[in-house]
Amino acid sequence: MSSTELTDTNHETVAVTPPATRLRMVPLLEVRQSVSERLRIGVYVVSLLVAAALSVALLAWSGVAPSDLGREIATTAFSSPRALGSVLVRTAPLVIAGLATAIAFRANFWNIGLEGQMILGAIFASAVAIYDIGPENGRVVTMALAACLGGMLWIAGPGLLKQRLGINEVITTLLLNYVAFNLLLHMVYGPWKDPVSAFPHTEQYETFERLPMLGWLNLNWALPLAVGLALILWWIMSFSRVGYLLDLMSSNARMAGAVGVPVAGLTVAAILGSGAVGGLTGFAISAGVEFRMTQDFFSGYLFSGVLIAFLGRNHPLGVVIVAFFMAVLLLVGQSLQVFFGVPFALVQLIQAIFITCVAASEFFLTYRMHWRQAA
Amino acid sequence: MTDTLTLSSVSKSFGGFRALDTVDFVARAGEVHALLGENGAGKSTLMNIACGLYAPDEGHVAIDGKTVRISGARDAAARGIGMVHQHFKLVPAFSVLENIMLFNPGRSPAEVAGKAQDLARQMGFEISLSDKAGTLGVAEQQRIEILKVLVAGARIIILDEPTAVLSPEEGRMLMGLVRKLAEAGSAVILVTHKLHEALHHSDRITVMRGGRKISETTPEGMDPASLTTLIVGEQIIEKPQLSKAVGPIEVELENVTLGGEAGRKGLVDVSFRVRRGEIYGVAGVSGNGQNELSAAIMGLSFPSSGRIGMNGLGDVSKRGPGYRRRHGLGCIPVDRYSHGLAGRISVTDNYAVNGAMAGAYGGWGFFKRGLAQAAAREAVAAYDVQGVRSLGQRAGLLSGGNAQKLVIAREFEGAPRVVLAHSPSRGLDVRAGAAVHERLRAARDRGAAVILISDDLDEIMLLSDRIGVLNSGRLTREFKAPAERGDIGAAMVSHE
Repeated sequence: MSSTELTDTNHETVAVTPPATRLRMVPLLEVRQSVSERLRIGVYVVSLLVAAALSVALLAWSGVAPSDLGREIATTAFSSPRALGSVLVRTAPLVIAGLATAIAFRANFWNIGLEGQMILGAIFASAVAIYDIGPENGRVVTMALAACLGGMLWIAGPGLLKQRLGINEVITTLLLNYVAFNLLLHMVYGPWKDPVSAFPHTEQYETFERLPMLGWLNLNWALPLAVGLALILWWIMSFSRVGYLLDLMSSNARMAGAVGVPVAGLTVAAILGSGAVGGLTGFAISAGVEFRMTQDFFSGYLFSGVLIAFLGRNHPLGVVIVAFFMAVLLLVGQSLQVFFGVPFALVQLIQAIFITCVAASEFFLTYRMHWRQAA
Repeated sequence: MTDTLTLSSVSKSFGGFRALDTVDFVARAGEVHALLGENGAGKSTLMNIACGLYAPDEGHVAIDGKTVRISGARDAAARGIGMVHQHFKLVPAFSVLENIMLFNPGRSPAEVAGKAQDLARQMGFEISLSDKAGTLGVAEQQRIEILKVLVAGARIIILDEPTAVLSPEEGRMLMGLVRKLAEAGSAVILVTHKLHEALHHSDRITVMRGGRKISETTPEGMDPASLTTLIVGEQIIEKPQLSKAVGPIEVELENVTLGGEAGRKGLVDVSFRVRRGEIYGVAGVSGNGQNELSAAIMGLSFPSSGRIGMNGLGDVSKRGPGYRRRHGLGCIPVDRYSHGLAGRISVTDNYAVNGAMAGAYGGWGFFKRGLAQAAAREAVAAYDVQGVRSLGQRAGLLSGGNAQKLVIAREFEGAPRVVLAHSPSRGLDVRAGAAVHERLRAARDRGAAVILISDDLDEIMLLSDRIGVLNSGRLTREFKAPAERGDIGAAMVSHE
């Protein structure tokens, strides 16, 4: 259908017709002709508030009173510089993961392979560390670049299959996560297993193979790296020709191609960029948090990345803000697990509530409701 | 004769804009009622109220003399109102029967199949209920849409610009079907831009302008000119003006052969030349290679053999759209919403793409929005694009005519040496169409070589200095204007 770009001028409708009884109000849905920025922000904020209220109610029902919850959030995240520091340490890889996902989503490439790209990033970075590649004083940079390369290689296959043969990237990127995971297991149980430990992980990185500390709180360079990356991507997305052309492409790729925009080149660049940043996420965790490659360092980042990108509206600064709150939620969730015995599944449920509420709020941007008496 | 559907003093506003102002409208059983008006005259809003998609702010709707409140499309269907939208709403992967059943829930397949076959026979066409909807041609899909509402028991049938997507033959067949529907006792409402449909195929004509009903009349005693005057409020008569100065050859197609889309013939050995200061019209029944020709000239598909020469560039047949556009090609694509504009982004962003690609708003690392906006503002004014409340407004909100003006503003910005226009006035009202034609003539008169591909023979005759006829993928005849309409028509349909 040729009018898919213009759904708001079509007059699609959703009929909501309960059995008509007298004096009963029924909603009539009209398609909105336009949506103001104010309405958009308002609906978004209200949906977040609704999600927050639902989450608080759910926790209260599981035995965490709202006052306890408030205290828990305050102590875990904001009570001391040290507490804030641990939130920020947690935030950094989440920002990078969200950015990796957002880059691909902006180009309409549904990269569900973040975990695979993280694993390849960590493997490449660990290889540089293990085989002592490059000078020691630049080792950590070499590791970061190698991680980017690993992530790019891992996404290149799905990207090529999508561009050349139109094979759905959701499937290919997702399945490659499992391939990457098995490769990781092979490495940490096999050739790269730490000789001094019974656990399946690599040897600890040398000090010069770790992200250096900032000397403020307990933070290392992962946070400036994440924020710097977000600022660069913000520039690219919002103030550069590349970002403008990406917008044009994702709004209407056929039109972009017809007016001479290098659609294939830009898409490939975005896909590879997403993979590179995905690899960097793996590096940020192994060189900034764990100081080695463990067998489950990546776990949960795929879903978090998608969630952060979605809630942050694929906007780099939105990603930073959402990643911060996600870190708070994860840490608060951990302490609730310990002190109140709530299951971790509840934390995931809360994440799901936020996603569902924001996704559902789209409805109010698409339709206007009229309440009227049924005949 | 009974008044089946009555809308009385209906008004409707959208955020301060009064789309309908106390409009009365009556559709009677057994009649075809044509609803005419420019884009934005209020036709669609009126019909959306009739079928329950919008609630009127004032006034009321009555069926068979009884006031009703329609609470949505399903309710409308239950009351016997069926709307066939301009953009079909079929599920391509479903069979015809499944699509009909989707619209008629709660009935057995056997019952629906039987009823659909009966109705199809009454209307005089054959259908295969097991075919997948996606494999059918446009005209067949439209019949399925009509069958859908008939099986649901519609007695009031609204057709929204039904012939806009059809070839002239298909359009004629549809008009025959419309007449049969009326004879079978339905009230048919025909929303249209095409004057001849209203004049030759309707019993009653209502003309709307600016949200008001201007006139209700019968076709007797009306002619295209008087109807146009009613529609636009002034007289618009376009007259052919031939080129005054034809220059050297600017574009040359030589034996261009191109495989077609599924089931189509594509192009076979197409050759023609277009000179500066001339409009070369490509006439033909749609589906005879127009899309392929257009894609080959735009650079969206490359011919398997043959060459496309542009003056000073040599063969460009294997060059992409970017290269051709940088060297003086401007295109008005057939479907402005699929290849012309990106609906979800702003007017500025739609306009700015040429400038951005040429580096006018900074290098790859920059996009100076202020400069782009200034350029867009100028272009919007120069090309008289109406309905732009702000340059940040989404392009998808522009009406057809104004969307087309925006496309033209962008495409004509660098004074292209070669212009391709594919059915540039399709779906536009008389005034907007005339404005588009004026731009094409102006481009020719400043020395551009203009290629006009259109299945509207009137448009071809009106604009072209020379005419080629595309038939089954071949350029079978060439005419020099002024040519006989009948000769061109014969060449379009001949099976030599």
